[in-house]
Amino acid sequence: MKKYFIYIFTILSAFATAQTTNEQKYLLTSASNTLGYSIIDFVDPYLSPLTYSGSGVGYDFQSQRFLSVENTRISKFQKLSLLAGKGFNPPHTASMSFFGVNYGWGMRYHLKPMSKLRVQLGGLWDIDFMFKYLARNVNNPVNVDLGTNLNAFGSATYDISLFRKEMKLKLDMKSPILGCMFVPYSGASYYEMFGLGNLDNVFHFSSLHNKRGLDANLMLEIPLRRSLWRVGLGYETMKWSANDLVFKRNNLSIKVASVFDFATFAGRKKRAPNNFISPNE
Amino acid sequence: MKKYSLIILFVFALLPSCMEEPIVEPNTNMGNFESLWRIIDTKYCYLDYKKINWDSIHTAYKAKVTESADDLTFFDLMGTMLGELKDGHVNLYSDFDRSRYWKWYTDYPANFNIDLIRSARYLGENYKIANGLSYEKIDNGRVGYIYLGSFSNGFNDANIVSAMTYFKDCKGLIIDVRDNSGGSLDYSKQLASCFFKEEKVTGYIKHKIGNGHTDFSKALEVKTPANKNIQYQRQVVVLTNRMSFSATNDFVNRMKQAPNALIVGDKTGGGGGLPLSSEIPNGWLVRFSSSPMYDSNMQEIEWGINPDVLVSLSPFDQANGIDTIIERAIKLIK
Repeated sequence: MKKYFIYIFTILSAFATAQTTNEQKYLLTSASNTLGYSIIDFVDPYLSPLTYSGSGVGYDFQSQRFLSVENTRISKFQKLSLLAGKGFNPPHTASMSFFGVNYGWGMRYHLKPMSKLRVQLGGLWDIDFMFKYLARNVNNPVNVDLGTNLNAFGSATYDISLFRKEMKLKLDMKSPILGCMFVPYSGASYYEMFGLGNLDNVFHFSSLHNKRGLDANLMLEIPLRRSLWRVGLGYETMKWSANDLVFKRNNLSIKVASVFDFATFAGRKKRAPNNFISPNE
Repeated sequence: MKKYSLIILFVFALLPSCMEEPIVEPNTNMGNFESLWRIIDTKYCYLDYKKINWDSIHTAYKAKVTESADDLTFFDLMGTMLGELKDGHVNLYSDFDRSRYWKWYTDYPANFNIDLIRSARYLGENYKIANGLSYEKIDNGRVGYIYLGSFSNGFNDANIVSAMTYFKDCKGLIIDVRDNSGGSLDYSKQLASCFFKEEKVTGYIKHKIGNGHTDFSKALEVKTPANKNIQYQRQVVVLTNRMSFSATNDFVNRMKQAPNALIVGDKTGGGGGLPLSSEIPNGWLVRFSSSPMYDSNMQEIEWGINPDVLVSLSPFDQANGIDTIIERAIKLIK
């Protein structure tokens, strides 16, 4: 009897292995929705030489996914950030409203130098746009920051145990390396640039000589019941210069993110397995 | 590895020097004076054209600046300094006052009386209003008359078409832009385009590209296109006075090149520099001419544009309910 039992166990074990190795793998996309509250100061010398300080609210959507089931060393990443708020000049005689959008797409290489540490290094191409409105400047109330950058982009994740929970401490950073940006002359009006089409010397090559900055986020990832959350701080500092104008932006924010993983099947060759149920049938 | 890290750190430490930030003066009377003086010194576009020795003005006014002066006194002093520029586009704005230079029209005859315009002889009581355009037939229906008091009051092609349709049996048209102190250059261009058969270079514009008084960009052509919806082919007379300023000056400059247009009245008030704004440390805003505009012969229009026919409002006519300038325009159309 004992002999038969061993035979059956061995055969079942073989089946179990076969099941594991032949199982179809699907890539998950890891995404997060982040809300933040920012304290911002910025200088836009086209509108005013003074530093405007204020606050704003931001929203980020990030998603990351490995290139393929076979290649789990490289992942692609995209990010959409929105930021809106208002700043005041030091004597509080004028306010400047702003609304910014940043979209980035990049790839990162995954390393695991230590058992609890994972590092991702890569590049991120982004488009940065910020609309600024200073109503008091009747003839030049608006300026926009517009640029596209290739950024060095990296992150580190360290596993820690706190309060009997497995948490992750994540640090991500990006810094512009080269790109192109829109900076008008301080004396050139938008009427002349866009009404008359004079765009001479308003688009500039940017690199570390005239654009420098760091955008960093330090977040703690906490599992909470069946959900996953991140809380932390973000800090962005950016300085860029062209046409004798020096622009600055500093942004310190507190952030809360909800993290989730999802898989996509619609529109793909590989159909969802039967145990995945979609309402879009 | 350590060596390379040090080199990278050294390079990053050097990089800030590549972006030298401008000096921000302290928020004191002297700091605000220096800041205001420097904004004009580096950004105002007519210092050389008007032969203003701005360094001498710095010396003269610096001696008058005291830290003990209250805001009102200091504001008046700074307003007087800006008055040296003799420019209607230069203002200093605070919470309690706005400095201005108005001698570009107060030193000259008004050549305009709104009561005459509204009398039964001209607009009357039942004139039409299409957005910013007030219009009526005058001279027993033989001439169309449009009064445009501001280029800030919007209008569109449909409004102009309505007026032109109403004037279809008139021999010509009068556009009165007296006492119109400006507004949007887009409206000025839009209205002028109705009197062109084809696109034409009607002026030029430059802007400052450096802090020097003569650091200007190349002149850019300013064109007036032919309007796609309306191309008025009959005689048009534009009435001007010294209060025809800024965007109105631009309109008159364009109309100088229109094929069937005559400018009648007084010289315009000028205001040929497109204004921009900046701030000083105490939060006061300063507006100043930044981009000089020129006529089609590259001549400055900052001091105004001469009419084709110089006519003044006669006090005798005025007393008899007659606008001398409109009457002259009617005769020119006939």
